[in-house]
Amino acid sequence: MSSAEEDYNFVFKVVLIGESGVGKTNLLSRFTRNEFNHDSRTTIGVEFSTRTIAVGDATVKAQIWDTAGLERYRAITSAYYRGAVGALVVFDITKHQTYDVVDRWLKELYDHAEPSIVVMLVGNKTDLAQAREVPTEEAKMFAENNGLLFLETSALDSTNVEQAFETILKEIFQKVQKQKQRSSQSSTVSLGSESPESSAPAQGEKRPCCVAI
Amino acid sequence: MEYEEKTGRAHRPLSPKQNVRKNLDFEPLSTTALILEDRPANLPAKPAEEAQKHRQQYEEMVVQAKKRELKEAQKRKKQLEERCKLEDSIGNAVLTWNNEILPNWETMCCSRKVRELWWQGIPPSVRGKVWSLAIGNELNITHELYDICLARAKEKWRSLSTGTAEVECEDAGFSAADREASLELIKLDISRTFPNLCIFQQGGPYHDTLHSILGAYTCYRPDVGYVQGMSFIAAVLILNLDTADAFIAFSNLLNKPCQMAFFRVDHGLMLTYFAAFEVFFEENLPKLFAHFKKNNLTPDIYLIDWIFTLYSKSLPLDLACRVWDVFCRDGEEFLFRTALGILKLFEDILTKMDFIHIAQFLTKLPEDLPSEEFFTSIAAIQMQSRNKKWAQILAALQKDNREMEKGSPSLKR
Repeated sequence: MSSAEEDYNFVFKVVLIGESGVGKTNLLSRFTRNEFNHDSRTTIGVEFSTRTIAVGDATVKAQIWDTAGLERYRAITSAYYRGAVGALVVFDITKHQTYDVVDRWLKELYDHAEPSIVVMLVGNKTDLAQAREVPTEEAKMFAENNGLLFLETSALDSTNVEQAFETILKEIFQKVQKQKQRSSQSSTVSLGSESPESSAPAQGEKRPCCVAI
Repeated sequence: MEYEEKTGRAHRPLSPKQNVRKNLDFEPLSTTALILEDRPANLPAKPAEEAQKHRQQYEEMVVQAKKRELKEAQKRKKQLEERCKLEDSIGNAVLTWNNEILPNWETMCCSRKVRELWWQGIPPSVRGKVWSLAIGNELNITHELYDICLARAKEKWRSLSTGTAEVECEDAGFSAADREASLELIKLDISRTFPNLCIFQQGGPYHDTLHSILGAYTCYRPDVGYVQGMSFIAAVLILNLDTADAFIAFSNLLNKPCQMAFFRVDHGLMLTYFAAFEVFFEENLPKLFAHFKKNNLTPDIYLIDWIFTLYSKSLPLDLACRVWDVFCRDGEEFLFRTALGILKLFEDILTKMDFIHIAQFLTKLPEDLPSEEFFTSIAAIQMQSRNKKWAQILAALQKDNREMEKGSPSLKR
């Protein structure tokens, strides 16, 4: 990893969840590598990517988890949600069934994650407008009623992908800031992967930390 | 928000490849490759009889395809229903564990009701807590101790990687070469620990955590060091516990008599475990036992792998975790009971195989093991032999062993 990549103030773990085939992996690759793969295979294990962005005057490293393994191995659910401060619940706007089960995903999320986790509902594949089965208004209402952020995206033509991740990271950041103000001695959990080989000791503020919000 | 902004998007120039999403799902599956067409105009028309026949064939094919689609839709619906049912039952179990059992652990953990719920599998969200409580912390390891061990491990890694001369005789008997070898082994093994999960490999989210725990352990127990198989145990714990808690559970788990025997490669004691296993093997599955004997198939061939990794390498991960659940409840005898459960489940197939096929089969179990049948099979194994329990049989064998060793030290391997 380059040193520039390591320059950040916060690490936020964000998980992608939703039915198989809704485009989670492509949302992730569009955001972190600006790539879209037409023939993407089913994610077997965990796809794991990071991207560092500026939020306000801070630098935030988004550590994004994407898995189909979740559907396959119940044994990894706990590890998947542990420490997550944000979640994108993704459905496919052209398949109503993937939207119908959103509340099941939310239930699982709240069963495992911190209640304060920031959640965004994402309707993906807007490029397939002619095949739309889930009206924007319907999903928007659902999100409002459940206190979720909401956006529609297309990982294929990049629409709103950047915005979706930026919005959720900003929201998390604001929550963290508010919490910091509230209690100066907040409990901090280090999410930063401490490389065992790294010879430089973690330096105070630069030390990646993630506030448990 | 900006949904409306995209209306002009269709006109945006896109490369043809980008423009067309390969999405077969949107083609009505049943009609792909099913097109009834007349012959091209430049050819003579089909005879009426043939056209009629083709029309009939076409209609039959469409009917078949529709039937198939309906069947698949029903199958999907059933799968969804099953999933919902499973998720609901897990949800209910979580409530029971969180509200009733965990707050009253000491009094409730051994009750019949809890034991039964435990057998069903611990929900992932409380699994780590239950494992921690059940494994306990006899060694009184604190988070601070973990930090100290980790710091020491990092120190050693650093001195090895920079090639600085070792402070000699730091702990006598463990040379720099040994340490280096063990460090290399850890690296190699991490890359091979659940590779398809992509969680522990280089660049994966828990790569460094796994590395840290294994390194810290070699500093905590230099007399044991790193032994292959440990990476799997640590990995399963990491999936369910925070780092320091995973280390505490790891160290305490490895400190159990059976694990110590195996990880210190105490050959005599391992043989005693195998012998005890064979007592119950013969008792529960006499026919298969005889077949194995006839083929000279000794338990070490399959048990070593199963015991060293606590089945996490050999069984599908979800099943392995359920085995761990009950192992935490019942202790080491459950590891051997599980082994017998596997043998029982495949008894019919195994009886027909010869040495090499049995060995191959048992060292690479089918990936689609049906969980309910599997646990039913384990449940059918009796861990009593002539009124003696596992611990008694094992103790008796150990005593015999000691006496034999006293008699002829050369027998010790």
